[in-house]
Amino acid sequence: MATLGKDDLAPIDLLEGIRRRGRAWEDLIVQYGVKNPDPPWKVTLDATCDILAAESCAAEGQVDDPVLPVLERRAEEDELSSGTYEGVPFPERQLLALAHSLIRRGLIDEKELALRMKQVHERLTSA
Amino acid sequence: MAKTSDQSKKGAHGHEGEHQHPPAPMVDEVSDFEVLEMAVRELAIEKGLFTAEDHRRWTEYVHSLGPLPAARLVAKAWLDPELKKLAVKDGVKASLKVGVDWINSPPTNFGTPSDYCNLRILEDTPTLKHVVVCTLCSCYPRPILGQSPEWYRTPAYRRRLVRWPRQVLSEFGLQLPPEVEIRVADSNQKTRYMVLPVRPAGTEGWTEEQLAEIVTRDCMIGVAVPKPGVTSNVKMPVHRAVHPIEHHS
Repeated sequence: MATLGKDDLAPIDLLEGIRRRGRAWEDLIVQYGVKNPDPPWKVTLDATCDILAAESCAAEGQVDDPVLPVLERRAEEDELSSGTYEGVPFPERQLLALAHSLIRRGLIDEKELALRMKQVHERLTSA
Repeated sequence: MAKTSDQSKKGAHGHEGEHQHPPAPMVDEVSDFEVLEMAVRELAIEKGLFTAEDHRRWTEYVHSLGPLPAARLVAKAWLDPELKKLAVKDGVKASLKVGVDWINSPPTNFGTPSDYCNLRILEDTPTLKHVVVCTLCSCYPRPILGQSPEWYRTPAYRRRLVRWPRQVLSEFGLQLPPEVEIRVADSNQKTRYMVLPVRPAGTEGWTEEQLAEIVTRDCMIGVAVPKPGVTSNVKMPVHRAVHPIEHHS
């Protein structure tokens, strides 16, 4: 079902760096004594996955092809979860797999994403 | 350093002196994953993959999902034989009794595409146990049961349940005697399933609210059965599939 080839499943430098150094929610909640089992960003990640899979204009009668069909995304997530991102907790590996699928499809550029991450980090840590 | 609040505890905060209890703990750290999620979303919006407004509507919808409506439906069906008949006959119609509209639900007003649009409610009996899986991906009756647990998404569960259901259920702590038949329902894009378990002994005279408390998510997937005093789901370790499912294009 996956439309990405074997080569497309190979690590991506930016995401590989995040996989290596990123701190997962399951570690953060232990350190900070937080009870919420899911990171706050999980709901927005799920919404992103949903909307990319949605024929979201159908309600208005304009049926478009989904940007990233759910079966393709989930198949790629399965492949990546047992390979490149094995050992990464959930939902962090769902996020990495989504970013991986978007980059390999050319929907998001790796360098652009790296730059945007830098900008987002600066924003979030500037207060 | 910006702070990521524990949203489950938000609202416990008040102005100084307003509450006696201490503020809820917060994650005082910005993780790379938090930044990645936001950066992906922003770029997707800028590139026109979706709009910010659409994303907001979907986020509200996802945020509204949970297992409570399904638990209430089961409790109501235990108390009302006519509703039980309706639930088994027409799950979509019965869902309306707990405020879940599969046909006209937001955000698309025709059911979310991945949840569209048929719910079948599988009634257990003392000699028949149902359990739900999606061997293809992770289809799940989200409008009424919320987000699927991690283990439900894994190839290990999806692959093994259809081959060795009795053994997999025993790994969840559900030991079924040999005379109980097990039926595995495989979800797909058009049809979702949930289990209507047998009302357990010891719940005579209970209210709907009391009954709903013991109808856990796991009971409605079918990997557990309701028991008085048990109101939480099992924590399952997630293992890698030894022989993963091959996806073919």
